[in-house]
Amino acid sequence: MNKRRSVSAALAATALMAPVLFGQDGRQIIAESQRRTRSKSQRYEGALQVMDAKRHVSAKRWNFIRLGSFGDSKSLLRFTEPPEVRGVALLIYNHPDRASDQWMWRPEIGRDQRIALQDRSTRFFGTDFSFEDLEERDVNQFDYKVLGDEAVDGAKCWKIDSTPKQSKSSQYTHSLLWIRQDNYVLARLEGYGRNGLARRVLYRDLQNVQGVWTARTIEVFDARKNSRTILTLDKLEYNVPLSESDFTLQALRRGS
Amino acid sequence: MILLRLITWPYVRKHLTRTALTLTGILLGVAVFVGMHTANQSVLFAFQRTIDRIAGATQLQVTAGETGFDESTLERVQAVPGVRAAAPVIQAVANIGIRGEGNLLILGVDMLGDRSLRDYDLEEDDEGAVDDPLVFLARADSLIITRPFALRNHLTVNSTLVLDTVDGPKRFTVRGIMRSGGLASAFGGNLAVMDIYAAQRMFGRGRKFDRIDLAVNEGERIDAVQVRIERTLGPGFQVRTPGSRGREIESIAAVYRLSANITSLFALFIGMFIIYNTFAIAVTQRRAEIGILRALGATQSQIRRLFLTESAVAGAIGSVAGAAAGILLARALAKYIGGLLSEVYGIGERAEEVSANPNLIGLAVTAGVVTSIAAAFLPARNAARIDPVKALQKGKYESLSEGENRARRSAAVISALSAFACLGLGGRGVLLYTGYLLTLIAALLLTPAAGLWLSRLIRPVLRRVRPVEGALAADSLIQTPRRTSGTIAALMLSVSLVIALGGMARASYASIVQWMNIALNPDLFVSATQNLTARSYRFPPEVGERIQNVPGVAQVQLVRDARVLYRGRPVMLVAADIAGLVSRARLPAIEGDTDRMYREAAAGKGVIVSDNLAALENLHAGDILELAAPAGMLRLPIAGVVIDYSDQQGSILIERTLFRRYWNDDTVDLFRVYLEPRASESAVRQEILNRVGSTTRLFVLTNREVRDYILRLTDQWFSLTYVQIAVAVLVAVLGIVNTLTVSITDRRRELGVLKAVGALRRQIRGAVWIESLTIGFLGLMLGLALGAFQLFYALEISRRDIAGIRLEYQYPLKIALALAPVMLGAALVAALGPAETAVRGSLVEALEYE
Repeated sequence: MNKRRSVSAALAATALMAPVLFGQDGRQIIAESQRRTRSKSQRYEGALQVMDAKRHVSAKRWNFIRLGSFGDSKSLLRFTEPPEVRGVALLIYNHPDRASDQWMWRPEIGRDQRIALQDRSTRFFGTDFSFEDLEERDVNQFDYKVLGDEAVDGAKCWKIDSTPKQSKSSQYTHSLLWIRQDNYVLARLEGYGRNGLARRVLYRDLQNVQGVWTARTIEVFDARKNSRTILTLDKLEYNVPLSESDFTLQALRRGS
Repeated sequence: MILLRLITWPYVRKHLTRTALTLTGILLGVAVFVGMHTANQSVLFAFQRTIDRIAGATQLQVTAGETGFDESTLERVQAVPGVRAAAPVIQAVANIGIRGEGNLLILGVDMLGDRSLRDYDLEEDDEGAVDDPLVFLARADSLIITRPFALRNHLTVNSTLVLDTVDGPKRFTVRGIMRSGGLASAFGGNLAVMDIYAAQRMFGRGRKFDRIDLAVNEGERIDAVQVRIERTLGPGFQVRTPGSRGREIESIAAVYRLSANITSLFALFIGMFIIYNTFAIAVTQRRAEIGILRALGATQSQIRRLFLTESAVAGAIGSVAGAAAGILLARALAKYIGGLLSEVYGIGERAEEVSANPNLIGLAVTAGVVTSIAAAFLPARNAARIDPVKALQKGKYESLSEGENRARRSAAVISALSAFACLGLGGRGVLLYTGYLLTLIAALLLTPAAGLWLSRLIRPVLRRVRPVEGALAADSLIQTPRRTSGTIAALMLSVSLVIALGGMARASYASIVQWMNIALNPDLFVSATQNLTARSYRFPPEVGERIQNVPGVAQVQLVRDARVLYRGRPVMLVAADIAGLVSRARLPAIEGDTDRMYREAAAGKGVIVSDNLAALENLHAGDILELAAPAGMLRLPIAGVVIDYSDQQGSILIERTLFRRYWNDDTVDLFRVYLEPRASESAVRQEILNRVGSTTRLFVLTNREVRDYILRLTDQWFSLTYVQIAVAVLVAVLGIVNTLTVSITDRRRELGVLKAVGALRRQIRGAVWIESLTIGFLGLMLGLALGAFQLFYALEISRRDIAGIRLEYQYPLKIALALAPVMLGAALVAALGPAETAVRGSLVEALEYE
C-alpha cells in the first residue's frame, strides 16, 4: 500500500513536472487544464455581487447547468433573483470548431432572442462578464506562447499568452492566462483589447469537488468601467443527471 | 450717388407713404417666398436632423418601404462580409396624451447590439440601470427618455408614463434619462427608447423590424458593403445611407413643395407689378425734373442708372425687410406645415426651430432686387428717353401711343400662339410650363389695351349712373392707362390665382366626393390610429374576426396599406380581399374592362393601379408591373386603371393573399365594416368598442366622420394656399392704394380747378371712389378671364407633371361671384384715404401753379 501510494506521489510529481521536463508548450498546458476539469455535467447556484465604479452593489442569483465538456457542451443559466428578473435565461451551445450559439429568453416579453456574434462583447446582463466570457475556449482556436513562470496568490503558475486565430472572432486581441503548476487550474486571466486591459478575472477559493479542482469564487474586474463582479458558486455538483432535453429552446422557454 | 442723394432722396421724403407702399409690395412678395420656403425647409430639415441624430454611427440602413421585414433578415445582414455591427430598429410615433406635448417618437432597439451604433449618453446614475438588461430588457415596460422631455413633464428615473399600445393604454417605467444633445435632441427631444421586442408588441408589428441600421468594418468601403447586402437580400430591400432617407421624405412631400413654390413665386410676381406701377408713375411725375436734368447735361444712361439704382435700393430694402418678415412668418407656419405633412402623408415631425437658410435668404433678396430692377427697367428706359423740351409739357404723357399699343398687341398675339403651340407639342414638363408662362405674358401685354378698351366701354354706363363723378373717373382712367395698367395687371394676376386655386380646390372636392361615394361606402371604419394616414400601430388579423362576431356586423374587410417604392417613387400599396371589396365598392375601370379587372385582381393574377400613378409612370392596362418585395419580385399585369385618390403619389391595389406571400405580413391597418340592414350604427359602434376596444387600441369612425376627415385634409391642403391668395390680394390692394394716392397727387391741379368751378366735396370724393371701383372692376374682369386659362394650366400641371390626378375642369362660378364684392370692397376701402386727401386738399396750393 505504502509502495503504491509512493508511486502515485511519484506519478503526480512526474505529472506536475512533465511540462518542465518535456518542455510542454502553452497549448498542451491549456489542453491539460481543460482535461482535468472534464465532467459529464455540472450544476451550481451562482451568487453575484456587482459593484459599479461608485461602489454601489447589486446582488443577483442564477442557476447554472451544463451538459458535456469543453468545446462540445450545452449550458443553461437562469436568473432567480431579484424577483423582477426571475426567469431571464441564457442558453449556450458550445461548438469545437466555431463560435457558440447563444439564445436569450425574457419571460415578460415572451421571446427568445439569438445573441448575434457581433454582440458577444456586450456586458452579460449588467455583470462584468461579457457574453463571450461565458463561452468555452476551444483550445484549437488560439495560438499560445508560454511567457514564463509567475506566482498568483502564492501559487506558482505558467504565464501564457493566448492569441485568437484569424478564424476566431473575439473582442480580445490577446489574453494572458496564469495556470497553476500544481493542479493545472486557471488562477488568473487578463483579456486585452485594442486599448489595453479590458477584463481581469481572478479564480479563488480552490476546492476539489468530486475530483475536480474548482474555483468557488470568480472575481471579474472591468478595467474600462472600473467595476467588478464577484461570482460565488454554491451547491456545486458534477456529473449530475441531466439530459439533452434540458438544453433545448423549449426548455429555455419552459423554465420561466 | 450724387443724383441719388440730390434727386431721389427728396422725392422719397416727399412721398413717404407711397415709398412705404412700394416697399410693402416687394416686402410681402419676399416675405411669403421666404416664409413658405423657410417653414417648409425647417420641417424637412427637422426630418433630416431626426434621421441624422437617430442614425448615430450608422453608415447604412436597410428598409423595405414601410412594410418592414422578417426578423430573419437581420442574421442575413449580420453575416454579410464587411458588416461590423447591424442592429434592428422599429421607429414609430406614439400618442402620449400629455397636453402640449404632442407625440413621442418611439425608437425600439436591441440594447445588446445597438450601443455600438448609437450613443445614448445617459445620465451617470442611470448608466448602471440601463446597461443592465436585467433591469431594462427583462421588463417590457422599460423606457429611456430624454432630459428635455423629463424636465418638461417632471419625470425622473422610475417615474411612470402611460403610452398607447395596440392592446390599449399601458404604463411604462422610465429606467434611464439621456442627456440633452445628440440623439436626445431628435424629434425635438420627444424621443423614447425601448426594447425592440417590446416595441413590436406595442405597435402590433408581429415578428418584424422596420429597419436595420449598420456600420461597416474599418477599412471597408461603404458602397462595396452596400452592394453585397443588396445582392444578399434581393431587390425588395433598399440599402441606403441615412442621408438619402431624408430625400425620400422630401420626395413624398414633393407635390406639396412644388405647389408652395408656384404660389410663393406668384406673390413675388405680383409684387413686381406694384414696383413697375410705382416706377412708371414716378417717371411720369418726375418728367419735369428729368427734363431739367437732361437740359443740364445728364446723359440718357445716367437717368436710366438713376432709376435702376433707385429700384435696386428699394428692392434691397423691401427684400431684406421681407426676408426678416418671412422668418417671422415661417415660425408661425412651421408648426402648421409639420401638422399638415403628418396628417396628409403620415410622417410626423416636430419643427421646433426655424432656421433661416442663408442661401435661401440670399436667393430671396436677389430675387427681390432683380424683380425690382426688372420691374423698373421699362420705366427707367422711358425716363431716359424723355425729350427735355417735351418734358415740361403737361398732360398726354400718361397715355399710350397707338404704336406702343400695337407693338404690345402683336407681342401678345405671338405669345398666345406660342403658348398654344407648346400645348400642341405635347404639353409636358418644360413645354407645359413655357406655355403657361407665355399665356401669362400674353395676358400682361394685353392688359393696358384691354383696360383702355373696357374703360371706354363702361364710360357711358358710369356717366349714366353718376354723370359728373362717373365721367371724371372714366376719363381719368382713359387718359392715364400707364398709371393704372400696372395695378390692373396686379389685380388681374391675384384674381386669376384665386380662380385657379379655387377651381382646383372645387375640382378636387367634387372628384374626391365622387370617389368617396363609391370607394368609401362602409358604415364604419375601425382604425388603429385616429389619424387615418398614420400607420404606427397595426392590428393582428384576429381582431377582424372579433369585429365580425359583433351583432349587427354583416361584413368586415381587412385592409393593409403601406408606402413602398415603385421605380424610386414612394407609392401606396393597398392590400385587400378584392372579391369582398368589389362586392360592396366598385370603382369603374378607366382602362381595361371593369369585370375582368376585378376578376383577375381577386384571383391574384393582376393588379389595379390608380389613374395618377398610371399618368406619372406612363402605365397602361396590360403592362407588366414589377414590384420588388422582400420575398422576391412581384410581376403581374395591370388588370385595369381606376380613379383613386388614396395617395398623391399613386396607389396599387393587390390581393391580400399576395401581400401576405410577398411581404410575409398579415397585419391590418383598417377594417371596413358593413352593417346588417337594420342595425344601428351607434349601437354597433359602441358594441365594437366594448367587445374589442377593451383589449385592443382602436378607433371606430362612422362613414360621415371619415368623409369629414378626408374633406378636412383637403381643406388643410388648400388652406395654406388660401393664405397665399390673401397675401396676393393684399399686395394687389396695396397697388390700388398706391395708384389712387398717385392719382390724387397728380391731379391736384385738376381737382383744384374742379373745386374752384364749384364741384362739391361729395362729387370729388365720388369721382375718386368710382375710379378706384373701376380699377377694381377692370382687374376683376380681366382676372376672371385669365383665371379660366390659369385653372386649365393648374389642372394640367397637376395632372401631367405633379400628381397625375385627373380633375374635371369646372369654372368656379361661385368663387368668381364671391370675388366681386371682395375685390370691389377692397378697392373702395383703398379709395377712402386718397379720396379724403383729394377732398381736403388746399385749393390755394392746388392752383399755385396757375
